[in-house]
Amino acid sequence: MMEDIIYSDISTLRHKLDEGTLTAAELVESYQQRIDQTNPDNPVFISLNREQVQKKAQENNASLPLSGIPFSCKDLYHARQQKTTGGSRVMADFTSDENAFVLDLLEKQGAILQGKNNLHEFAYGATGVNEHFGTVKNPYDDQRLAGGSSSGSAAAVALGMSAFSLGTDTGGSVRAPAALCGVVGLKPTLGRVSLRGVVPYCWTLDHAGTFTRTVKDAALLMDILAEYDPEDSGCVNAPYHPCLPELNNSLQGKKIGVPDRFFFEHCDPEILTATQKAIDYLKQQGADIIPVTMPSMEHTRTISLTVQLPEALSYHSDFLLQKRALYSDEFRSGFAAGQFILAEHYVRAKRLIEGYRQQLQQVFREVDALITPGCPTIAPMIDSTQVETAGLSEPAGNAITRYTSFFNMTGNPAITLPSGLHSQGLPMSVQLVSDLFNESTLLNIAHQLERGLGKIPTPSK
Amino acid sequence: MRRIQKETLEQVLKELSCHPCSSLELDELVNPQMGIISGFQDLLNELEYLRTLPLGECPPAGSVQPSKQVKV
Repeated sequence: MMEDIIYSDISTLRHKLDEGTLTAAELVESYQQRIDQTNPDNPVFISLNREQVQKKAQENNASLPLSGIPFSCKDLYHARQQKTTGGSRVMADFTSDENAFVLDLLEKQGAILQGKNNLHEFAYGATGVNEHFGTVKNPYDDQRLAGGSSSGSAAAVALGMSAFSLGTDTGGSVRAPAALCGVVGLKPTLGRVSLRGVVPYCWTLDHAGTFTRTVKDAALLMDILAEYDPEDSGCVNAPYHPCLPELNNSLQGKKIGVPDRFFFEHCDPEILTATQKAIDYLKQQGADIIPVTMPSMEHTRTISLTVQLPEALSYHSDFLLQKRALYSDEFRSGFAAGQFILAEHYVRAKRLIEGYRQQLQQVFREVDALITPGCPTIAPMIDSTQVETAGLSEPAGNAITRYTSFFNMTGNPAITLPSGLHSQGLPMSVQLVSDLFNESTLLNIAHQLERGLGKIPTPSK
Repeated sequence: MRRIQKETLEQVLKELSCHPCSSLELDELVNPQMGIISGFQDLLNELEYLRTLPLGECPPAGSVQPSKQVKV
């Protein structure tokens, strides 16, 4: 019974709750049991709201889209009267008076916040390694990384500890851990979803994002979260076309671009094969597959870092004056590098980002979406610093986000979804990317593709 | 461009920047041993190359806006 519940998608849970075969209190209790079983050995949650969750579940009798549905969020999101740690000792004593804007949106629809998920300290890193709260283990192999920075949020959904979760994505921190943990990770268009009440890492590149079991669940959440927030200066007041009604649209005549370079290079051969199967399926469904020429990716990592490090340094400036010793060595070394990046370098990096955006807009005049592998590698071992993939040796964090970070610079909506299980028993994924503010097309194609790819087995632990 | 020296960074910190860095952190930047910041000199070299690229009148990236082709 419990396994059936905790691995159900939101639509199934909604149906059971509405027909009365499951109560919100039973649902909350099932997830709570799973958390109690798992969290002592795998630090997915940093904090839990046990009493509040049970109280809200008992009170739940509304008929809203998310009534009685428990969820979690990365511990960068502020929640009223709860601690926000940022995954760091630096904010260990901070309690927020207000909810993040998106938490209010979800709670208005009846969702119940279970607690806060572990992460790479302040989102500075893609491995999910956290020396203070512990490193989240991959749901499919506890010797391997869950990926990051939203490590706990990805694992919470994969392990059946939450129905869905929220993360943030600055270089792939939703899509990459989703890819490594076998769940669906959605990063909407830059500015589509408010980040008010979320601890920033890099204003230029930060996006809110969701972890779900299915693309349909991602669409349901997207339709709730895409509300313009005039009090967030980064939020864009763009027209929104609801995603749920478009999910079942035919792919006949849709133009799917396949990048001619970079995204298919130095990639695990099994991941390449799975991606090719996904492309073949889209073609069978009537989509036109079109080779596209992408901008040069030679300097993308440097350009991204040149914006990230000074912006992170600027946000953390006050904390650094008082609590420098409480940061990890890793983050302090990033701050040190950030101090020596010149202002002209920073501005130039932002001009190069604008150039990328203009070039990618040209690509989206020809296609409805792009398809790439989600991640070039399966989850690396926890103690690995370097990863070798098809002849390329690079730091683990670079490998994990190699195919995702470009789309944080361009701001395009992007999603990763499972493409199968690797022969080593770990999830593989594909990434789809669409034009700016066109989440409905992205999720339509992703939903159709998900049908063709099928589900991967749930983790055994 | 000459390879960055620890003395240069120390001088910059004394005369320009406000946040202190430990001697160990500066050592890591100029001569990485721990593998945390392994490519600071490479980063500087690449930034210097990027500074030579002609960008015309391309402005810095701001917020993104919907393109005209989005059907809503």
